[in-house]
Amino acid sequence: MSFQIPIGPQHPALKEPISLRMTVEGEVITGVDIRLGYNHRGLEKLAEDRNWTQNIYLVERICGICSHSHATCYVQGVEKLMELAPPKRGLYIRYLVSELERIHSHLLWLGVAGHEAGFDSFFMYVWRDREVVMDLLELITGNRVHYAINTLGGVRRDLDAGQIAKIRDGLVVLRKRSEYYFHIGANEPSFVARIAGVGYLSKEKAVALCAVGPTARASGWARDVRKEDPYAVYDEVDFDVATADSCDVLGRVVVRVKELLESYKICEQILDKLPPGDIAVKAPRKAKPGEVVSRYEAPRGENIHYIKSNGTDKPERLKVRAPTLGNYPATVEMLRKGFIADIPLIFAAIDPCICCAERSVTLIDAGSGEESVARMSDLRRRAIVRHENAPLKRNAVWPL
Amino acid sequence: MAVVRTLLYLVVYPGLLFLFLYSTFCEWFDRKVYARFQNRMGPTHTGRFGLLQPIADFVKLLSKEDVVPEAADKRLFAVLPIIGLAVVSTAGLLLPVWNFDLANPGWTSFSGDIIVMLYLLSLPTLILFLAAWSSTNLFSTIGGARVLTMLFGYEVPLFLAVLSPAILANSWRLAEIAAFYQRKPLLLLPNLLAFIIALIAVQAKLERTPFDIPHAETEIVGGTFTEYSGKKLALFRLTFDIELVVSSGLLAAVFLGGFPGGAVVGFIHFVVKTLFVIFLLCLLRALTSRIRVDQVISFAWKYLAPLAVLQLLAIILLKGFLP
Amino acid sequence: MTDAELIEKLKSDLGDTVEEISNPARRRLFLKVAPQRLLAVTTRLRDAYGVVFLSTISGVDNGEMFEILYHFSTPETDYNIRTEIPKANPHIDSITPAIPGAVLYERELQDMFGIVVDGIPDARPLVLPDDWPAGNFPLRKDWKHERPQEVIPGGKS
Repeated sequence: MSFQIPIGPQHPALKEPISLRMTVEGEVITGVDIRLGYNHRGLEKLAEDRNWTQNIYLVERICGICSHSHATCYVQGVEKLMELAPPKRGLYIRYLVSELERIHSHLLWLGVAGHEAGFDSFFMYVWRDREVVMDLLELITGNRVHYAINTLGGVRRDLDAGQIAKIRDGLVVLRKRSEYYFHIGANEPSFVARIAGVGYLSKEKAVALCAVGPTARASGWARDVRKEDPYAVYDEVDFDVATADSCDVLGRVVVRVKELLESYKICEQILDKLPPGDIAVKAPRKAKPGEVVSRYEAPRGENIHYIKSNGTDKPERLKVRAPTLGNYPATVEMLRKGFIADIPLIFAAIDPCICCAERSVTLIDAGSGEESVARMSDLRRRAIVRHENAPLKRNAVWPL
Repeated sequence: MAVVRTLLYLVVYPGLLFLFLYSTFCEWFDRKVYARFQNRMGPTHTGRFGLLQPIADFVKLLSKEDVVPEAADKRLFAVLPIIGLAVVSTAGLLLPVWNFDLANPGWTSFSGDIIVMLYLLSLPTLILFLAAWSSTNLFSTIGGARVLTMLFGYEVPLFLAVLSPAILANSWRLAEIAAFYQRKPLLLLPNLLAFIIALIAVQAKLERTPFDIPHAETEIVGGTFTEYSGKKLALFRLTFDIELVVSSGLLAAVFLGGFPGGAVVGFIHFVVKTLFVIFLLCLLRALTSRIRVDQVISFAWKYLAPLAVLQLLAIILLKGFLP
Repeated sequence: MTDAELIEKLKSDLGDTVEEISNPARRRLFLKVAPQRLLAVTTRLRDAYGVVFLSTISGVDNGEMFEILYHFSTPETDYNIRTEIPKANPHIDSITPAIPGAVLYERELQDMFGIVVDGIPDARPLVLPDDWPAGNFPLRKDWKHERPQEVIPGGKS
């Protein structure tokens, strides 16, 4: 019996809306169709109306997990356009945050993989330890999600000796825990039974379908923008590109955990080499006409921004390609001939970030507002009024 | 007078009310232990140590909107949760904790009650399948197919494993089996392998990780329960809680020496031993990840069933050597 | 191989199929190609230079013309192939015969700019909703979004 099951746009395995239409024969998948477009905000069009500085905060909101990736990719492109040379210390802090972000993203993914496989204990433990790196990021930048530490020409906050000591302590804990999870992820029989041999993507297919990031590296294709196009500080630190040649979900787990260990190494080197000096230089308001292609290795793979300026204080065109979009064709290939039970694992194994992949269209018009009972403007006005009239709470505590 | 006693027996103790309270307590225990294994707090808020949380959840579900799908067979859809609850509660009456009088078999303790109990415990699985099929949802249908597929895997090993101590005790009556092992506690040891097999099979019967395949939320949403909501879902969840109590009580009666010592001491035995079994089930749940349905079948037939047969063989040989 | 050597090699190899090669920054090559030669150049680059990885395709609305950039990268350098097509007759050949992974970006190009990609294996809209009005291409410069009047379904106004 063959029938079509819809995975998404709302489904417990998906944290963000996307639609996977699966044609299944019993438990075996025979056909896959991916439909996008549930999460469009029109950022590329919007960016053409914002000036260079405002756009940093706009692109940061492309994604909640790799927010720093997009901001950094954009900022390093615009700095090239403006012919700015940020001070060394600023760059070191910027890429320290990027590596910490990679750590938090990979730990998040590891937990999600456990949850998708029904291994909730693993999920809980990994996410507990993820709090360590989240706290470090909050310590450095003041925020847990949108760090907002980048600015044109450097970073906005400096590190002091106490913070450096705390980061070092945190890295020691994280390294120990990651090695433990590496052991669990590669040895726990029921977990390995679920992920080994699942979602096979041969190297030839990975190349042909332009897979990126850990997905490509787990198929034995050692591509890493940090290594092949070393931007900023990456030619001054020593690290290896993690690969696996098992081409399955197990390989993707292994690659990500290895990358975690490499990231700890990079963070420690950055802290060791952190030079003294300023953290930022002043940026001009306008950029000369020109174009730049900025590439950045986000936790999910290659992130590429194409920025074109026309001599004003606004970009002529900002094109964003997030890594998840590049992995969709490969996902379709991986899902084919799999079991229904493998769908969440295979799909999660590309570490999909749907809000990253869908950023480019304009605001969807109000055909969809069927459930709304009040206008947005009205709600906003009411919220402001309520906020102004609310009594000032001192020492407010949450009721237990 | 007899009518009143029977009514009390059915409704209060050990009938519906007691089973309801004790199963919610067991659910709390299960949730708390599971949470502590995962470095979480578990229920803390409702009642002391969150003891009332399962009851609060039950009441809340009762008050929720009850939606029946257009295409579903409405009568079947509505009646299945009640039948399920009735079946497992009936199975609960057969436990030898409230009918320990060996000399005086009654309508809840008779020769062959272990077989009746095993069959009563199989029925909820079929009811689950019917519920899934009658709700006509795609995810439910897949869940229902998975329920049945899994049934073929774990049912045979469970029966073989539970019957081997009965063969050694030379009785088909739960109370007598328990009494046999109370006299000769050392003979519990040869049944250890059967106990482990039965634990795994019960885990599969209760559809808990690693066998929560029919309602694996990341794959097929709610699976069998996708279309159930409100009161019906509450009854189904209660059914599974009571099934947890009854099956752990069965394992305790057969493998852990029953509940000696009359009404009060026996009851304490019952609580301690069922909680011990639930603890083991919980450990299994915390330590594994969900496997695929084909892996369940191959695991059950490659390892569980042959081991159960081996156990049976060993027991029969042992019986030959015993005086 | 440095960028300068690579440019020499490309110039002698591809000859006049490439109109212009520039190298504004390290590891960034910009090749200008006529639209009808795009597929040939892509195939040649793939076979002879190992240019297999397409990062993305960017479209730019330059008023009368659409500029389309194909961003490839290899471990040695990044190739950005630029081509221009008139806005009045926006047709371009698909490069999916050479690079199968290009299909998503080409679908995005169709949605956003109204460029017709000839020979695309899957021409459905990628990112626009199914009920998107025809002839609206959001990333064209002359397209302005007008926020529709808010209507409360079933409400008074």
